[in-house]
Amino acid sequence: MDRLGLSKCVLAVLLTVAAALPAGAQMANIDYIGYAFETGGLLPSNAGDELTLVAVASNADPVFEVDLGAYELTFHAGGLISTGEVLDGSTTVIHYTGGMLEIYQDGSQDADWGLNPPNAVSPATFTDGELFFRGEFSSFTLYFAPGGYGTFEGTLSALDGTMIDGSCSDCVYTWAGAFLSGAGAQNPAGYDLQTDGGFQIDSTVATETASWGSVKALFSN
Amino acid sequence: MRTMLKVSLVVLAVVALPLAASAQQLFDFNGQAVLPGGVGGALTMYSQVFDASPATTPIPLDFADYEFTLVVTDLVLDADGFTQHYSGGTVTLYQDDLTAADFGNLPTFTDGTAILVGTITALSRTLFPTGIGSVTGSVDWSGGTRLDDIAPQDQTDWGFFSGTNNGVNQTLPGFDEQWDGKIEPREPIVDDAAMSFGSVKALFQ
Repeated sequence: MDRLGLSKCVLAVLLTVAAALPAGAQMANIDYIGYAFETGGLLPSNAGDELTLVAVASNADPVFEVDLGAYELTFHAGGLISTGEVLDGSTTVIHYTGGMLEIYQDGSQDADWGLNPPNAVSPATFTDGELFFRGEFSSFTLYFAPGGYGTFEGTLSALDGTMIDGSCSDCVYTWAGAFLSGAGAQNPAGYDLQTDGGFQIDSTVATETASWGSVKALFSN
Repeated sequence: MRTMLKVSLVVLAVVALPLAASAQQLFDFNGQAVLPGGVGGALTMYSQVFDASPATTPIPLDFADYEFTLVVTDLVLDADGFTQHYSGGTVTLYQDDLTAADFGNLPTFTDGTAILVGTITALSRTLFPTGIGSVTGSVDWSGGTRLDDIAPQDQTDWGFFSGTNNGVNQTLPGFDEQWDGKIEPREPIVDDAAMSFGSVKALFQ
């Protein structure tokens, strides 16, 4: 089986497993850690500022079939344009528009955040290798609690990558995590946030109950 | 002879330190938490620890041969609200090569060797409107078989940081939230100090 065929097969199994999970079960997850920076810094987040996140997977559910001992999975989220920060009670909320998330599978395992991004190694070492997933954000929101910590969540529609194929157009993916900002957070110089979170298949194509006979009938015409 | 050995070790350390000083250090975990019913109740959290390379763990961990789990117990809710405040919990890092951690069988998280044991001196948990939240706190390490791998001055005031999610697809039966986070020193705990060889020798006179 060629690689594309294998990927499609893996995806089919992935979707089957995900669709079969009962309510309350966990979705397939890739855990990551990383760092983020925004033009002009955070906070404040001014309308038009662009947020970039670069991260590395620390764990991937076996269903993704990626050996993190031999390959790294790197994340690059870019093109997220701030609409400006708003205060909701004591929470600073920032909505973003646009943006893409790319995940690369890379045997060179060379991911390096470096200092003061963008720089010679970041995002470059997070965008090398084979494209594993690419999706466009349909939403992305960042919540700042007083004290410089918070969380973010975005939803994505898949475009391409070895993890998916054309039959996955109905899939919705979630990119979420928590962050810390400011001094003492082990942030490499020039990064505004350190992040820790997960990439998940949030929902899949709908399931439909059918008899085996009716399934066979679909292919008998 | 003992002095010579010490000098050798110091020189070795000075050579090694610049390599480690710039690396991010953390214990990365992903787990499930049970929340208290109200003020005075206790929060527990069971999680697995993963290798977050290229970041490093603050003390070397053998992920190839062992599983590592991180467990929080007896973390008492002191004040409720949009942001909850907790204190008094114990956090333990276990090393185990026998049983795989299973959220349906919680003793599998605590059946290894307790290599680090600490107290959560304070912790805040904020839940945002969509069911996602964030946790930040601090940890003082005080026990465990690997405590001495951390210099005494580096054993206190580590950061505890996590995202939370109470979505139905995130929580397992018997739990209230998924926690995905890390425990880390405020700065890399092996620091780099420029020192003349004369100064090194003076330490042993």
